[in-house]
Amino acid sequence: MSDQENVRSASNKGKKVLPVGHYRGLGAWTVFFFVFLYLPIVVLVFYSFNSNRTVMNWGGFGIDWYLKAFENDGIQTAVWNTLIVATVATIFATAIATIGALVLARGGNFRGKTVSLGLITLPLMVPEIVTAVAVLIFFSAIGLNLGLGNVIIAHITFCIPFAFMPIRARLEGMDTSMEQAARDLYASEWEAFRYITVPLLMPGIVAGAMLSFVISMDDFIITLMVGGAGSTTLPVYIYSMIRRGLTPEINAVCTILLFVSIAIVTAYWIVSKKSETKTVH
Amino acid sequence: MTTAIDIRDVTKIYNPNSNQPVKALDSVSLTIDDNEFFTLLGPSGCGKTTLLRLIAGFEQVSGGEIMLFDDEIENLEPNRRPVNTVFQHYALFPHMTVAENVAFGLERLKKPKAEVQTTVERVLTLVKMKHLGDRHPNQLSGGQQQRVALARALAPSPKVLLLDEPLSALDLKLRQAMREELKQLQKETGITFVFVTHDQEEALAMSDRIAVMSDGEVQQIGGPTDIYEHPVNRFVADFIGDTNFLDGEIVDIKDDLVTCRIGSNSMYEAENSGGHTVGDHVTLFLRPEKITLSDASDANQPDNRPGKVANIVYLGNQAAYTVDMGDGVELVAQARPREDGKLPFAIDEPLAVGFSARALRVLVQ
Repeated sequence: MSDQENVRSASNKGKKVLPVGHYRGLGAWTVFFFVFLYLPIVVLVFYSFNSNRTVMNWGGFGIDWYLKAFENDGIQTAVWNTLIVATVATIFATAIATIGALVLARGGNFRGKTVSLGLITLPLMVPEIVTAVAVLIFFSAIGLNLGLGNVIIAHITFCIPFAFMPIRARLEGMDTSMEQAARDLYASEWEAFRYITVPLLMPGIVAGAMLSFVISMDDFIITLMVGGAGSTTLPVYIYSMIRRGLTPEINAVCTILLFVSIAIVTAYWIVSKKSETKTVH
Repeated sequence: MTTAIDIRDVTKIYNPNSNQPVKALDSVSLTIDDNEFFTLLGPSGCGKTTLLRLIAGFEQVSGGEIMLFDDEIENLEPNRRPVNTVFQHYALFPHMTVAENVAFGLERLKKPKAEVQTTVERVLTLVKMKHLGDRHPNQLSGGQQQRVALARALAPSPKVLLLDEPLSALDLKLRQAMREELKQLQKETGITFVFVTHDQEEALAMSDRIAVMSDGEVQQIGGPTDIYEHPVNRFVADFIGDTNFLDGEIVDIKDDLVTCRIGSNSMYEAENSGGHTVGDHVTLFLRPEKITLSDASDANQPDNRPGKVANIVYLGNQAAYTVDMGDGVELVAQARPREDGKLPFAIDEPLAVGFSARALRVLVQ
């Protein structure tokens, strides 16, 4: 090894972190990437404040289209449907995912544990159109016709893996000695679960619930297939609006949807930050 | 004296039905007296923590019985056993304050509110943590968390307190201070302590009695001096403190002394612990602090032999000397630095090595 190489390897040992930020052109690529990612959304939000009828012709600032969207009966029904579906699906999916995660993380070793884990997370990789068609055929085969109920059942099924992942991650990181300490201090199994496991697991449950709420709220393919007349959700309604012609009303609705999603994620972030400062590991 | 815990033939096998069952405890029997500071000592994997967890109820025995005073407890749920545990990493509830942590056990026992409050205050005062009752565990130092864990386990007044290497996560100074406090706390409360550790110094400093364990079996039970001065086998002698081992053969027995041949033809006399016959292969052991090193001119004095310094390890308050006794025998001895800080002997220096036959003991192989 030459002296120069010696010096270099010695200085690398001190730093350890690869100084990737110094590669030439990387900064420009990063900027390009973010522009590519967010420019369409910025444009969408911007034109939602257009007072002109056509989307891409700027006719001055105005919130007319927001007001119009709020007065639109179709949108109102779709929003209600979306909220009902997302709320009910989230509650059920989170409950099922919590129980599943508890069994898989704390149930000891049992036959088919690995398979169960795989089967729970597999729906994340199955193409949504496949799930959609399968659910549609299944519902019509058994003659299930509950209107919005069908949509809710379908949403519960595909929300479970999303709710499951953060809950399981939290459980895996939780030391069983906490529950043992509770049992040692005269807590019954139920009391240990109620006073120790649930509070410590709560950040995971909240994360799982928020994730499945957001996923349910913007689902399109499955809802389009399963939802009959009268059970239209917001994404499906927006799609039908586009087919009738683009107006800034669509931009306004999409912007609202966007900010609701952001609000939920932000709320979760704040909640998890708060609980992080309370938790030691 | 009342017996607090009676372990009878307890066996524990992990994964009994798999193709790799692990025998953690092999029919262990021992009794722990009421009011005693009892230590389970051994290297990791010796079964000491398993035994503690069996007493606490976190594991089920594979065989045998555990008696707590007059009750058989080995099949009870952990919350039905009047014992409490101090966990190795404390296991404090992070979502509760210090006071809530300490009150947890009392509340589960459905004690009246007023009683809970006075007990919490009393035990927090006992561990000098009363002023921090409103803090959360993550706002406390390691030593403080340790105190809270102690207070939490003591609050329900358990019949026996189980401590699972509670000092191992603390730094040296704090660990030494906590040793004395734990011992003091045991005297004040009068509760039987069962203490698990792999640190022999800790065990010697605090215990009334020690059970030395290895490979799922109890090797020896006795007071600290018994264990240190009269180990029953090589494992105990080796695990507790530093020791010189001399392997040899008994060539002569006179009443209270046996003579052994070490190396090719060096004779060493040792105390006769009884039951030996000429021709037995035995191990002699000699603690380094029983050896005095002096100038080579003393080598002809009684109980002295000539030697030569082979190696020195400087430890500050003392130095460990490896002395070559000739005939392939090496002994480790200690010497204090002189007042001017210099070491008394240098490498390769000849010196006199003094020890009495009473200091050598025979271990059966």
